[in-house]
Amino acid sequence: MSTVSATLKTAPAGNASALLLVLKLRTFIALIAVTLFFALMAPNFVSVANAVIISKHVAINAILAIGMTYVILTGGIDLSVGSIVGLTGMVAGGLLVHGIPLPMLGVIVYPNVIEVVLISLLVGTAIGAINGLLVTKLGVAPFIATLGTLYVARGAALLLSGGATFSNLVGRPELENQGFPVIGSGTVLGVPVSVIILIIMALVAAYVAQRTPFGRKVYAVGGNERAAALSGVRVDRVKIAVYMISGFCAAVVGLIVSSQLVASHPASGNTFELNAIAAAVLGGTSLSGGRGLIGGTIIGAFVIGVLSDGLVMMGVSEFWQMVIKGLVIIAAVVLDQLQRRLAANTRQG
Amino acid sequence: MKFAKTLAALALGAMAGIALAVPAMSQDGKLIVIITPSHDNPFFAAEAEGARSKAEELGYSTQVYSHDDDANKQNQLIDSAIAAGAAAIILDNAGADASVAAVQKAKDAGIPSFLIDREINATGVAVAQIVSNNYQGATLGAEAFVEAMGEAGNYVELTGRESDTNAGIRSSGYHDVIDQYPDLVMVAQQSANWSQTEAFTKMESILQANPDIKGVIAGNDTMAMGALAALEAAGRSDVIVVGFDGSNDVRDAIISGKVTATVLQPAYRQAQWAVELADKYLKEGSTGMDEKISMDCVLIDASNAEQLETFALAE
Repeated sequence: MSTVSATLKTAPAGNASALLLVLKLRTFIALIAVTLFFALMAPNFVSVANAVIISKHVAINAILAIGMTYVILTGGIDLSVGSIVGLTGMVAGGLLVHGIPLPMLGVIVYPNVIEVVLISLLVGTAIGAINGLLVTKLGVAPFIATLGTLYVARGAALLLSGGATFSNLVGRPELENQGFPVIGSGTVLGVPVSVIILIIMALVAAYVAQRTPFGRKVYAVGGNERAAALSGVRVDRVKIAVYMISGFCAAVVGLIVSSQLVASHPASGNTFELNAIAAAVLGGTSLSGGRGLIGGTIIGAFVIGVLSDGLVMMGVSEFWQMVIKGLVIIAAVVLDQLQRRLAANTRQG
Repeated sequence: MKFAKTLAALALGAMAGIALAVPAMSQDGKLIVIITPSHDNPFFAAEAEGARSKAEELGYSTQVYSHDDDANKQNQLIDSAIAAGAAAIILDNAGADASVAAVQKAKDAGIPSFLIDREINATGVAVAQIVSNNYQGATLGAEAFVEAMGEAGNYVELTGRESDTNAGIRSSGYHDVIDQYPDLVMVAQQSANWSQTEAFTKMESILQANPDIKGVIAGNDTMAMGALAALEAAGRSDVIVVGFDGSNDVRDAIISGKVTATVLQPAYRQAQWAVELADKYLKEGSTGMDEKISMDCVLIDASNAEQLETFALAE
């Protein structure tokens, strides 16, 4: 990198600030570049229907990445989200297929779809709260705490069915629990429900992060935890809240994934956490905390989504898809470092 | 799903884990250790259950483990089996090359291994290797696919994890049949890594690139179910789907006319047979058969789907 910074230092100030602008917008430029590339290379890539499909695929990762961004903004990390996706999907599937048996009353209660959704969201949020408590009250490093819950939640998902899939989650008329597939395959005016959920969640998350006292506290905790605490921010509360947000987001994704497949599989969501972290980092969120935007994360998720769908449509082998995705993530981080050096140099100059 | 029960089960699970770690010797000390890939695939769950029930029927005590397709974990489980003084090991292995040393280690410790479902790339190490004839099964599935397609049209192939031997064997079995018909054109071929979720998203993208497809042939049933969900979401009930494995989900889809056919690997019966051979070997010193045993697969379509239950066909 020494040669790069040497060039940057000697570059005229005008060029430097133009370069800085390009670097700042790099994720957006990357999105336009990959979209243009596939528009030229992949058959039928440019169509409204395909845009809808890509948004649907992106929604799964982007919703997880919203929660992940909040956690990373406080300087933490949440590795458990993929497992929470699997567990909440299994909770929903189990409630729809088997209900809640009450042995002392000798009856089985079948909650309706709204109740199933609420219970699943509660389970996800509760696991997030456990993560938060482990990190704050017990002082476990976020990486370790959420690695622990990653295993516990995945194991619990497998235990719920003994490893089997809950299939055919359409509900039964006599139990009044029909309608679950709407979350994954329903549309409103041609827009999939999952994409509408993403839009609402992204807008709310961006508003909360930028315009509310809570949002400012999240940035403050990630920027300088000690200074935030000294200025009266209840650091523990903020941290517990961000892990709960992340757990909630993961539960939403768990519901969408099992609704799309009309089946819940205990291994579902495996390694989703890595895609969510990649989207946040690609979107300019700093893993050391305090820096990043929800909007950037969403664009980051779209870069990954357009890339994977486009490569499938071009018929590129799975092995190359993995290599290309990895290279894009590395390039994003390298450019991030470059931007920071350049910004520092420009300020000095 | 019972939350109280699950919580209790989770707590008990921790204790059971400890209990399982202690060798469960039966009165005559004959223990059979059963090791398969993860039970989250019902195929392997059926295998483990088949072996366990047969072993207990024959009076053995059993320990059932999963190696999750991790050769290192498999190696440790074999170490535990040796330490527990197992009489025999029933193994669906974690890799044709990566498993040879572990099976050899068991043999050196005087424990015979009986392999099911997947081969290892060595002979004379395991006592028996009972493998479904994946190639023969794939040609059966492909023939049903060709017939349903009317010998013409565009199709998509979803293949299994590219590092898995069976994924390659099934794909070549499909193509040795389908490629004889020049009017059948493969417009897309993608690996969905045996996964339902991946098959769903990839099928949606492939449908965008190639709306004019007439059929999908998948390397296993979970991918066939993922593709089916994507086709249904796109309102494409006209597309022909063929899978492989013979799972209950695909059976139900065949009965309701959404899937054309699948190929049954007799997982349950195969595991039982392995235990029977182990029993014979332990009593007589020989299985009386060659090491490599091939079991033919059976085509499942609308005519016999009703008889299928958990990877076993009722006679």
